[in-house]
Amino acid sequence: MSWMNIELILLITLPALTAVLMYFSRDFNQRVRNFLAVSGAGAELYLIVSLFIYNFDQVKNSNFFLQYTIGYQDTPFVINFAMDNLSLLFSLIVTGAVFLIVIFSTQYIKDKENRYFGLFFLVLASIQGTILTADLFTLYLFIEAITIFTTPLISFKKTEETTRAAMQYLFYGITGGVFFFISIILIYFNLGTLKMAAVAESFALISTPMQLTIIIFFLLALLIKLGIFPIHFWLPRAHSACPAPISALLSGVLLKVYLYIFMRLFWTMIAFDFLVELHLSAFVLDLALVSSLIGHVFALQADNLKKMLAYSSIGHIGMILAVLMLNTEAAFYGGMLHIIAHLMMKSGLFLSSGYLLQTTLSHHIDDLKGIGHKNRLVFIAFITVCLGTIGMPPLIGFVSKWYVLLAFLKARHFFGAFVVAAGSIIALIYYLRYISQAYETVKSESPSLKEELISLKAFFKSTNTMKSVIYTFTLLIIFFGLGYQLFEIPVNTAIFELLNPQKYIELVLGG
Amino acid sequence: MNKLMKKIMISVVLTGVAFALYQNFSLMPEYQGLNEGLSNYIIKSGLNDTGSLNLITAVLYDYRAFDSLGESTVIFGAVSGIVLILSRKMLPVSSKGLSFIVKRALGIMTPFIALFGFYVITHGHLTPGGGFQGGVILAAISIIFSIVYGSAFDYRRYSPQTKTLFETGGALTFLGLGLAGILMEGAFLQNLGFLTAETGTLISAGSIPYINIGVGFKVGAGLAIIFYSMIQKTFEEDF
Repeated sequence: MSWMNIELILLITLPALTAVLMYFSRDFNQRVRNFLAVSGAGAELYLIVSLFIYNFDQVKNSNFFLQYTIGYQDTPFVINFAMDNLSLLFSLIVTGAVFLIVIFSTQYIKDKENRYFGLFFLVLASIQGTILTADLFTLYLFIEAITIFTTPLISFKKTEETTRAAMQYLFYGITGGVFFFISIILIYFNLGTLKMAAVAESFALISTPMQLTIIIFFLLALLIKLGIFPIHFWLPRAHSACPAPISALLSGVLLKVYLYIFMRLFWTMIAFDFLVELHLSAFVLDLALVSSLIGHVFALQADNLKKMLAYSSIGHIGMILAVLMLNTEAAFYGGMLHIIAHLMMKSGLFLSSGYLLQTTLSHHIDDLKGIGHKNRLVFIAFITVCLGTIGMPPLIGFVSKWYVLLAFLKARHFFGAFVVAAGSIIALIYYLRYISQAYETVKSESPSLKEELISLKAFFKSTNTMKSVIYTFTLLIIFFGLGYQLFEIPVNTAIFELLNPQKYIELVLGG
Repeated sequence: MNKLMKKIMISVVLTGVAFALYQNFSLMPEYQGLNEGLSNYIIKSGLNDTGSLNLITAVLYDYRAFDSLGESTVIFGAVSGIVLILSRKMLPVSSKGLSFIVKRALGIMTPFIALFGFYVITHGHLTPGGGFQGGVILAAISIIFSIVYGSAFDYRRYSPQTKTLFETGGALTFLGLGLAGILMEGAFLQNLGFLTAETGTLISAGSIPYINIGVGFKVGAGLAIIFYSMIQKTFEEDF
């Protein structure tokens, strides 16, 4: 009877099956293994894109909704999977980015690929589960799963530094998970249900101090996971220690998933009015802005390329969180666009830095001398993405930052507007530091730009797969910067979901 | 002096946090007994719905089977992560094990421990126990072997590859039963109707016993793999 909407389950089980398959691929030919990995991620992307295209009319009218129920229909504790426009948007962008990262990793990772890809696809499965689930306990399970699966990936290189970073990541991840779990227990004791929709319906029945406790623990958990200021120090270490594709996954994709959870919890499940009533929204807004500023300032003093990028991530995530806390339609538009923009830009930056750092001695700024001459086109791509992050006009970073700035100005929140502008200027300085260092002349011979362009003929050879992924990200950033209206429909419908949580609640409870 | 100040500050902050937590947790509603809530529902109709006498197993592998699938996937990921971090190509160096008396006594006892483990796994839907618990008992055998007979004893008989096969086999059993639920009953991880039999017999309760067996193998093999990759590292450091 419920062949309907089987796609939702497939979205979660398909990467899990791929993971098991990849785990046993040690004896496979490298070509076969790469093909398997790419096709596993490609099938996932195909599924979600076809979901988007086949339901395009419904998406346009923002009444798109899919639901899948596991268990006995009329019992109070079935597990629901639901997909509305918000989940669809996030699932789409996350899967697209992961697909490109998988293509990059097939060339980048040279040893123990079977375990690497096994864990990678498990992370993908848990990300999809996190996005699709409509049940608090399943959400908790998947959040914990993400932490546990990414920890070994961080310490993939097995040096002292990476191990320390991974241990710290695990510790803070688990601590955040425990806070999340406390909130879940409190909700269960008070309401006797863990369905998000049912909780949303009756959250007002809980006494106010209890509401405060629940919300504070949820906030603590998510602020730890997002790396907001007081508890941010684990993030740069963890995000810079791992191999480049994992950095891109953590910084580009996973932080957005936590932002999605944030929206799901505080707009759909717990209405945002509760945060305003308890005077928490203004506090979180200021905290996020301070965090944004501090992230950018710390990026200024970071002498390690990947650490600099990770600190800049803190800056951007703080900005997105702050603009979402404004709770206006313009703010959501800017925030969503910047989520998409930051996803593409940070993945592109980390992947290209990973490619550039293959030939250098270390990640330190002094060892980067002359890499701009060695890999001209890749470095030009790197500069383009950097400009996007700063907010140069034809690129998507400009569009999203512009709307964020407008939202702050519209809400008459001038500190926020200041942070956005100051962040851009500080970002300009710290990127220029690296760019000027990279163009320092060194004595060694390097091919001229003409030769490099001639070598474009070899563009589609397998050795250039990594480069082509980097170029794809760069072109996407330029393309969507010019045609950001393409995101109009998915983003606007996602905002509709945020503003009208009633629809989600009714549809989930209605079965 | 500085240290003392630090300690005083820390204890003040901790006391404050503890007090705030106590204030809030004292607001928790009292435990309302079995008359309300989900437990009542499970006790009333759990047996009817699932055919499993052990209601905890009914919740774990039928009502909330998807969460258990997730949990066992977490074990799978944790095992492969630990192996990824700790794996060395070196064989564990064998110690000679304990005295002859212990070896003989354990030689007689181990089959019974294994039997007990399998009993706990297969009777998960009838008596307390289940896949997770029985799997731990099976993993304990592996650990006993390594302590009593020396670490190479178990390693030579069941190499990590074999254990990985067992583990993944268990995971695939679980996933396969879930997919079979789609094909036969129309929902992921739905209890398979054609497997139900008279309540209380060994082969009853639909697909629950088979999920139990899968999880049992998975947990047992997974914990054994974790144990062996951990002792591998210490041996390398010692020598």
